[in-house]
Amino acid sequence: MNQSIKRVNAIFQKDFKDFSRNLAVSVVLFMPLFVAALYGRMGIDTLDAHYMIINLTFAMVATFVQCCLIAEEKEQNTLRGLMLSPASTAEILSGKSLLTFVLTILVIAVGALLSEYQPENLLIVSLAIVLSSFFYIALGTLLGLWAKSVMEASVIILPVLGIFSFGSFLLPLAEKYPVLGVVEYLPSVQLIEIATKVENGAGFSETAAQFGIILVWTAAAAILTAVVYKKRMVD
Amino acid sequence: MALAFIEAAKHKNDALVFPAFNLSLAAGEVLAIYSNVNIRSQLMELLLERSSLSQGKIELAGQALGRKSVKMGFLFLNDGVYKRLTVLEALRFYKNLHSSSDKVDEVLRKVQLEPKKKTKLEKLTPSEQRRIQLAALYFQNPDVWVMEEPDQNLDMESKRIFLSLLNELRAAGKSVFILSGNLENAVTAADRVYRLDENGLYQIQTLEEEPEAAEEAEESAAIESMQPIRFEKIPTKVNEKIVLFDPPEIDYIESSEGQSFLYVKGEAFPSYFTLSELEQRLLPYGFFRCHRSYIVNLQKVREVITWTRNSYSLVLEDAKKSSIPLSKSKMTELKGILGMK
Repeated sequence: MNQSIKRVNAIFQKDFKDFSRNLAVSVVLFMPLFVAALYGRMGIDTLDAHYMIINLTFAMVATFVQCCLIAEEKEQNTLRGLMLSPASTAEILSGKSLLTFVLTILVIAVGALLSEYQPENLLIVSLAIVLSSFFYIALGTLLGLWAKSVMEASVIILPVLGIFSFGSFLLPLAEKYPVLGVVEYLPSVQLIEIATKVENGAGFSETAAQFGIILVWTAAAAILTAVVYKKRMVD
Repeated sequence: MALAFIEAAKHKNDALVFPAFNLSLAAGEVLAIYSNVNIRSQLMELLLERSSLSQGKIELAGQALGRKSVKMGFLFLNDGVYKRLTVLEALRFYKNLHSSSDKVDEVLRKVQLEPKKKTKLEKLTPSEQRRIQLAALYFQNPDVWVMEEPDQNLDMESKRIFLSLLNELRAAGKSVFILSGNLENAVTAADRVYRLDENGLYQIQTLEEEPEAAEEAEESAAIESMQPIRFEKIPTKVNEKIVLFDPPEIDYIESSEGQSFLYVKGEAFPSYFTLSELEQRLLPYGFFRCHRSYIVNLQKVREVITWTRNSYSLVLEDAKKSSIPLSKSKMTELKGILGMK
């Protein structure tokens, strides 16, 4: 166990140093913060605005950064070295996700501070955010394994950004076009649902259904990622 | 046996890649396989367990290959490095990743990158980046080191470091399995060299023994009786033509797969004669048999490089700066010729 933590830590530290010097990718951290500061100053503090920033952070930081980290390892032919090292699949993937996770939570916290978002029940909201971040990181890993280069990674992130960050904008149209009803089940929309219920004083029992849906998304993304990773290991 | 191929054969798309062969690699031994790129990549795939043999098996330390065995380490030809990390950071990362007890400073000294320890890897030369990969492998500390073209395009300094690392591995009882498409590199680095092609596996003589002394005497007698007139040009075949070369034009002669090749201005011409016949004929022109498979025109030699105490190379002054191996026993002979005792 100790060995395994050491390896995860080694990968985390390596990624941290690498990331801090990779301006092309690390600059995206400032985008959600900039929007948050702008909203905060303009006095916009509806729940939808706060969650647009949070969902934007998920797509730009959790998914995009993770996708770039993985795609770069592949592009530079260093992922093979990691795969052949004594580190197990779980150690490699958690080591590679740890940095993204820390960054995501940090950006969301600072963003909430800037946009002056104070949830009624901090515990439930943070739990929902942590769970969602797992989903977005798994999604980023999946896309990173898919993409052949960092360049490609920054292109395939666009649909993710569109669907998961701005998917909630489609909700009003759902009444007109019933097909769009699926949008309601997006993890980003579920997250907003949880937040709305929390503002109305709901507890864990009322938000269990939403948590369940996000959990299903996370589990599905994680399983798919593990399968694709195993497949990549062979070729 | 550290690594053994038992009746190993491979077919791909109904075509034979290589027929069944037996080969075993002992601890403390450096063995090279000289083959074309296709066979080399097939062997890598097999050792990585990304494909399987059509027949036979590969054993690692007496057991069938297991996925992800830490006992076997790989040096790939096209491996990458983390280019934004500095040398020191990269080595620390590899040390922690492999939970190694080796000291970073010590490995840094081994690959001789101490003056560059604060340099980012992307600023290093390709040869130096390759030394980083060697360092990573050093931290992994496998029993069997599989190296793909380890000294392709290496600069002199890196090659020297690489060869002294091989000596250290020999002393530590590690086995090294080199896959190379360059005979000269294979011969310089390895104790035993084999050629693998679709006809099978053949050992390339690198040892110093001279079992063909009698044969040579016979051959020279034959030449003398055959050639009453001494003719100094050397014939080679180019397609259907015979091209004659003046001995001073020739840079060196290499024997490969039983055929000797004359190298003139970087081009190879197959010769009609065996290496020992050529040696006889060219001796008066200042040619020198520097290795079992090589004859060199001493006039063209610019440098004699000592890699380690018993491995040497000659660098020629031709445009390509070709380097050819010089065997240990021939080194003393060469010193005699040069008048330095």
